[in-house]
Amino acid sequence: MRDSEHPYVEWIAREAKRPVEMDRAARDRVMAAVRAEGAHRPTPAVRRLWSRISEPRVFHLSPAFTGLAAAGLVAVGILAGALTNWGVRKDGQPRADVAKTQPLVALPSTGRAIDTVVKFVFAGPRASTVSLVGDFNGWDLSKTPMVRDPRSGNWTVALPLNAGRHVYAFVVDGNTWASDPSAPLAPDDGYGHASSVKNVPGPTL
Amino acid sequence: MIRFLSSMRRAPHALVVPLAGGASLLLLLLSAPLATAQDPIFKLDPTSRRVVDLVMDSAMAERLPNRSILSRALEGVAKHADNRRIVEAVRRRLISLRTARTRLGNVSDDELEAAASVLEAGAKPEELERFRVRPQGRTELEAFTVWADFLTRGVPKDEAFSAINKLWQDGADDATFHGLWTSVQADILQGLSPGTALQNRIRETPQRSPTTAGKPPEGP
Repeated sequence: MRDSEHPYVEWIAREAKRPVEMDRAARDRVMAAVRAEGAHRPTPAVRRLWSRISEPRVFHLSPAFTGLAAAGLVAVGILAGALTNWGVRKDGQPRADVAKTQPLVALPSTGRAIDTVVKFVFAGPRASTVSLVGDFNGWDLSKTPMVRDPRSGNWTVALPLNAGRHVYAFVVDGNTWASDPSAPLAPDDGYGHASSVKNVPGPTL
Repeated sequence: MIRFLSSMRRAPHALVVPLAGGASLLLLLLSAPLATAQDPIFKLDPTSRRVVDLVMDSAMAERLPNRSILSRALEGVAKHADNRRIVEAVRRRLISLRTARTRLGNVSDDELEAAASVLEAGAKPEELERFRVRPQGRTELEAFTVWADFLTRGVPKDEAFSAINKLWQDGADDATFHGLWTSVQADILQGLSPGTALQNRIRETPQRSPTTAGKPPEGP
């Protein structure tokens, strides 16, 4: 006779399979207690937030979007670098065209401080606009407009300049180039318009 | 696309990365013109720009002031010179600076640039060498500037050199050189020939004692 055929074993199996009838009132009491427990202990907002942040997530990314994201990060780096270095020359000194309200120089540094204010005068009573251009403002026609003196009719501008040699010219009405009659000429550079030279004295001169 | 949208529905947070990437790409595209605008010689064609960069690098390697080389390029751009002329002018500048350094030795960048201008105006390198020896504290800047102006205005080369060299050896100061320039320029404007104007004025120029201005340079 096998153990599974023993009457006692069969009785145990039968009893185990029999559905247990639970008292309905007891079940309601248990469920009420569970609900009450949940209501007494709300989850703090911070914990909920932390759980949202720290909960692992799965991102579905295509190679194209991954590439875009990488390019974007590089772009942000380049832009940040450009903005950080804007205003600093290679030698670490502040650039004159950024440091001054009147933009001046976009050229390699001469390593000297700006120490002399130089007044430029151009006699052009019939001119509508006159600009001063030279090595001190990167030969940019828009950077140093001159102002007309209503009494004399002369166009003037005063600029702080480094001590040393500066080559410059006047541009009348945006297209006519003129040298300064009160300053020596620079040699012809093959461009067809004469320029002038101003030697600004300084401590080293 | 449908697959992408469905994946977005499943994981909406994944949208953040593509959006950030797109925004950054936009920034990159916007920053490119900004970087171009910061490049002062961006108006040159790529080949000319490369030549200018190479010339500037050469100047820097030889410890020559490359400021005037860049200025020469920018001047050409502002004057709407064609790229070939700009490249020629820039190369000529480097050669002049190199020759000036060889002939003058250790002088300031400004003096070197002024000397290069004298050479470009037509002076001979051996004439420049006369100014190699100079007393300490004396600068040739004004002398070279006036010399280059005379040559540019058409004063005969020998006469211009002779006048400047004489004043220099006499110990003339900057004011003397500038005074000579003012007088000669006024005479030229009055209609006198440049050579005659210089000859007349150099005779009137007061001479200083060399002992008060330092030892004059020795000739070769």
